[in-house]
Amino acid sequence: MRMATLLLALLAATLASPAAQVKGRGTPGAPIQLDVYSDYQCPACKALYERTLVPLMADYVDKGKVYLIHHEFPLPMHPHAMEAACYACAASRVGKYEQAGDVLFRTQESWAASGKVDQTVCSILTPVEAQKVRALAKDPAIIAEVQQDIQAGRNANVSSTPTLILTHRSKQYRVPGGAGYEILRRFIDQLLSQ
Amino acid sequence: MAVVFLYAAYTKLREPWLVFAMSIDAYQLLPQWLVLTLGRTIPWLELLLGLLLAAGFALRYTAAAAAILLGVFFGIMAHAYAQGLKVDCGCFGLGEPISARTLLRDGLLLAACLTLTFLALRRRGLPRGA
Repeated sequence: MRMATLLLALLAATLASPAAQVKGRGTPGAPIQLDVYSDYQCPACKALYERTLVPLMADYVDKGKVYLIHHEFPLPMHPHAMEAACYACAASRVGKYEQAGDVLFRTQESWAASGKVDQTVCSILTPVEAQKVRALAKDPAIIAEVQQDIQAGRNANVSSTPTLILTHRSKQYRVPGGAGYEILRRFIDQLLSQ
Repeated sequence: MAVVFLYAAYTKLREPWLVFAMSIDAYQLLPQWLVLTLGRTIPWLELLLGLLLAAGFALRYTAAAAAILLGVFFGIMAHAYAQGLKVDCGCFGLGEPISARTLLRDGLLLAACLTLTFLALRRRGLPRGA
């Protein structure tokens, strides 16, 4: 009886709090895992997203060859980066993390200049979702989730963005974020053929 | 200088060569065929120069070649830094973005290599027994 009460209390606590979610895309058991540490206000991260991650998702992630995990790593030098990361994490609670990330990168120059992160993210949400995301973006649990990502990055010696860490058969490779897609693709193919 | 070149070669050769090729590609200066060629050859060239410097073999030529290589690296890094590119230096493996500190370090290495070249050439020019 006591055990059942304890289990019920744990279940209730889990449902009540906005649980942290892994912001991954693809198949978790894919042969390659790619951890990306990025900052929505960083121009190099925008370039990485548009030139490398978008084709990578189509060619490898959605085909089950690479499991892509996004980590928030807002840099202090970018005044709106933390807010953008919180909004993206909040959007993940309504199932729109990727859409939020996409709009943040594609319109980076605009909101980075105006500071209108809220309007940018809410433009891809329904009014009900927007209301929920606005509240969640200020939730201490969401802020803590971003801080956890930052700490995970520091633990992995991440000091700049974008940083990519590729894991294949337990071996980790740090991949330069500014490299073009064609050479990254060649490297992934080489690993997959082993 | 020999230790520096041997260590630089070691940090690159312990990783797949394509990882270093991606470091070169991140500078966005060279066509892909050249990036791939340099990605394969530079680590071995550094190893060769390190071994030759350690042996003191044909020092004036070896030191001059090392100075030219360091000069090219320094020029590319300074260009990327001036352009505001946020790229890894790629000098001794990854995880070291270009900064004033990396430029100063590589500048000092270049100065040391030029001094070595100058001394090697000067020694060659001195009469025997001087």
